[in-house]
Amino acid sequence: MASAMTCSAAELFPHLGSSANATAAAEFICSRFSAVSEYLTNTTYAVDTTYLLFSAYLVFAMQLGFAMLCAGSVRAKNTMNIMLTNVLDAAAGGFSYYLFGFAFAFGAPSNGFIGKHFFGLKEFPSQAFDYSYFLYQWAFAIAAAGITSGSIAERTQFVAYLIYSSFLTGFVYPIVSHWFWSGDGWASASKTDGNLLLRFGVIDFAGSGVVHMVGGIAGLWGAFIEGPRIGRFDRSGRSVALRGHSASLVVLGTFLLWFGWYGFNPGSFLTILKSYDHTIRGTYYGQWSAIGRTAVTTTLAGCTAALTTLFCKRLLVAHWNVVDVCNGLLGGFAAITSGCAVVEPWAAIVCGFIAAWVLIGFNALAAKLKYDDPLEAAQLHGGCGSWGIIFTGLFAKKEYVNEVYPGFPNRPYGLFMGGGGKLLGAQVIQVVVIIGWVSVTMGPLFYLLHKFKLLRISRDDETAGMDLTRHGGFAYIYHDEDEGSSMPGFKMTRVEPTNTSTPDHQNRSVNVVV
Amino acid sequence: MACSVDTLAPFLGPNTTNAVAAASYICNQFSGVSDRFVDTGYAIDSTYLLFSAYLVFSMQLGFAMLLAGSVRNTMNIMLTNVLDAAAGGLFYYLFGFAFALGGPSNGFIGRHFFGLKEIPSNSFDYMNFLYQWAFAIAAAGITSGSIAERTQFVAYLIYSSFLTGFVYPVVSHWFWTPDGWASPTNSNLLFGSGVIDFAGSGVVHMVGGIAGFYGALIEGPRIGRYDHTGRSVALRGHSASLVVLGTFLLWFGWYGFNPGSFNKILVTYGASGGYYGQWSAVGRTAVTTTLAGCTAALTTLFGKRILSGHWNVTDVCNGLLGGFAAITAGCSVVEPWAAIICGFVAALVLIGFNMLAEKFKYDDPLEAAQLHGGCGAWGIIFTGLFAKGEFVDQVYPGKPGRPHGLFMGGGGKLLGAHIIQILVIIGWVSATMGPLFYILHKFKLLRISSEDEMAGMDLTRHGGFAYYHEEDPKLGMQMRRIEPTTST
Repeated sequence: MASAMTCSAAELFPHLGSSANATAAAEFICSRFSAVSEYLTNTTYAVDTTYLLFSAYLVFAMQLGFAMLCAGSVRAKNTMNIMLTNVLDAAAGGFSYYLFGFAFAFGAPSNGFIGKHFFGLKEFPSQAFDYSYFLYQWAFAIAAAGITSGSIAERTQFVAYLIYSSFLTGFVYPIVSHWFWSGDGWASASKTDGNLLLRFGVIDFAGSGVVHMVGGIAGLWGAFIEGPRIGRFDRSGRSVALRGHSASLVVLGTFLLWFGWYGFNPGSFLTILKSYDHTIRGTYYGQWSAIGRTAVTTTLAGCTAALTTLFCKRLLVAHWNVVDVCNGLLGGFAAITSGCAVVEPWAAIVCGFIAAWVLIGFNALAAKLKYDDPLEAAQLHGGCGSWGIIFTGLFAKKEYVNEVYPGFPNRPYGLFMGGGGKLLGAQVIQVVVIIGWVSVTMGPLFYLLHKFKLLRISRDDETAGMDLTRHGGFAYIYHDEDEGSSMPGFKMTRVEPTNTSTPDHQNRSVNVVV
Repeated sequence: MACSVDTLAPFLGPNTTNAVAAASYICNQFSGVSDRFVDTGYAIDSTYLLFSAYLVFSMQLGFAMLLAGSVRNTMNIMLTNVLDAAAGGLFYYLFGFAFALGGPSNGFIGRHFFGLKEIPSNSFDYMNFLYQWAFAIAAAGITSGSIAERTQFVAYLIYSSFLTGFVYPVVSHWFWTPDGWASPTNSNLLFGSGVIDFAGSGVVHMVGGIAGFYGALIEGPRIGRYDHTGRSVALRGHSASLVVLGTFLLWFGWYGFNPGSFNKILVTYGASGGYYGQWSAVGRTAVTTTLAGCTAALTTLFGKRILSGHWNVTDVCNGLLGGFAAITAGCSVVEPWAAIICGFVAALVLIGFNMLAEKFKYDDPLEAAQLHGGCGAWGIIFTGLFAKGEFVDQVYPGKPGRPHGLFMGGGGKLLGAHIIQILVIIGWVSATMGPLFYILHKFKLLRISSEDEMAGMDLTRHGGFAYYHEEDPKLGMQMRRIEPTTST
């Protein structure tokens, strides 16, 4: 299109005849055309930047979602601790991603392993990247750290959080995103030098592997090394559910994550003003349609996973459980994230259905192996994330793959769509490589922290709740006027005017749900 | 932007060969620019519609928090909201969207695009589906408020699928598609006017509210809502913070609901190149929406202060939402000053319907039938009174001089069409949702047992309470759930 837009007076001049004014006329016409063309270029930048910026804001809203989800999923006594973690993920992540994280990830030109430009956003903005792009990638990086914080909640020292979070956001995650997303990465699907892994690269569109598996596997090592929370498995080894203190916050967090996922998946296109081949469908079809389709596949995968979880859990434990449904929903989202842009809506339903089973399976496995993950983060983001990567290798549609990753016609696509097993092979390599890389970086880190006694809090602290011992008090302060109690207990009375007599606060002892 | 070589060539001089070549060169340039503008138009409109859809989706979050704060059975009601969205997504994908927007078809129901087949097409893209889905689940969310705290979970699943997959799509087909018999874009307009229900005071709010009315009416009030002497006892919700959070999220989402209903922002009114276009109308819609809600909130505040002597935040929140539900029909075709009138009357309508509900011992935990049904109906009438001719012609182009609001000098045709709309929606929802709830009731699938209700459904059906506090694992889990006891 760009070539057709260049109006050359020299080309036009001969057509206008031999009159003296012909040159002037040709120049005049062409100058008008270039003015319009430049204006269009500016418009394109403005439209694409608006799209990317608002997507980044949506992804940032996921941090709020994580904070609420984590807060609701832990016990009241550790709420302050986990929420501080989430605030600091974002804050410390912003700092370290600005200084070197972005450079490691996207500092092109570089080698296939790590980037090496744009430290501290030097040379920004450039032809390739603008500030909005940094903001978008930063929001992704802190999402990965947010995932990990769920796994090690309720028993981790605050110093350990700060260390792992900076390391993950500043080094481990940027390297993985360099491999799969930058133009230089060894496994990138958009590699600029044309020397792609297995000649086509890995399709991890919005990061089932790059974000979710990285966060989930990091959490797996953290939770594995520090062991389960006190009371999570009783003496006979039976699993005891330590329920979170607020289902309302869990639902709030889940919906906020859902909301933010519309920035995460459709936003990963980065630009919206891009036409696709008009001869296939017509002028109405372009990147905007692909973005809409991505939003639809995302929605359908999550919806299906939620419904599947609902009915499975109903059969397995005979309860309609909202917290489980929320986790199932998020599992569906984590799974579709990889293939969202290149699959049909009906395939997304398949993706979500299986994601729910994957999550249930991994949870059963975790209970069997006495692995304790307060938010099921490793199972959810690691397990469903891996399924999503495999799913893309099975269901990616040829037409969509070629549109989303242009420049290399006849790429391999999904096995079940008739595209052969090459893409699936590359996707399997991705799963293995991410597990390996995160294990060799985050595993030793957590192990060192453990050896230096910086990882786990003391037994007393854990029993009393970290909010009391480390964070200056509990998140909830309830006044019981009748008793005038200043004890930091949990006297839950509602403080509000009422016409009725003071409610009779009968203690209801509820046995632990086994 | 069409450029024709044949037209241009004669102007370029007598040398035909050169002239044709020059003309085609220039025209090529023009069509290149024009193609890029077409792309730009699609990209901008898609961005606008997508982000509006995301905002409307956030209303689901608002409903969840509003409901959670307004009831005592928190887990139950929140699960309902998550599932409204999830089940609604599947059903709307499979056939809801097809029933609603599957044109060309007849005036009653659509019949294309099942499972999004043939999407994207010239008329619809994926974001249209996403946007309409977000609307559909909002209708189901409204109904869940009316029947909260006493309904079996299976009943929720059944009514929600039926409402999102059939009842709501059919109504939206009538009023919003070019095929619909009462649509303002139909070639054969009802009363020469069609119904102007811009963002759905009737299509969404009245449908959800009336469905809720039948559900709540058939299952009867919650235990303890009216005492032996028949006096009304307020069963207060457990968290005013969540109510306010939910209300603000709904407000936030309403900016996708009302201004987003334009679907496109890059449309010029009159000659191109002016500062005034659809973007101005979109902005005006956001302003009318805001003003109606604000006025309704203030009116409720002082009204309730006079009536009950309290400055009550929950009532103000409901009043605010009543104002929004009312302005939704006319938001794009009225002046900002009219929106203030709309909000003022909406608050009074809500207070009136609430008094009526108490008189008839009708129990609606979220006042959803009164709020969305009552204020929604007022909003439809309001549009028939205050729609401005200029705005109507701009928002619904193609037929200049349409009938507009009675008080704006546009005659009574629009008002007549709107009254028909109210009657038809009441009739349709009564004929579909009424029997459904009645059948559920007959099969004992509707209401929970009184033991369950007294103990709270969270404990009996949903694996425990929403809030969980414990002091020391050694002492076992101690939990105090506080709920308003029945009146002294």
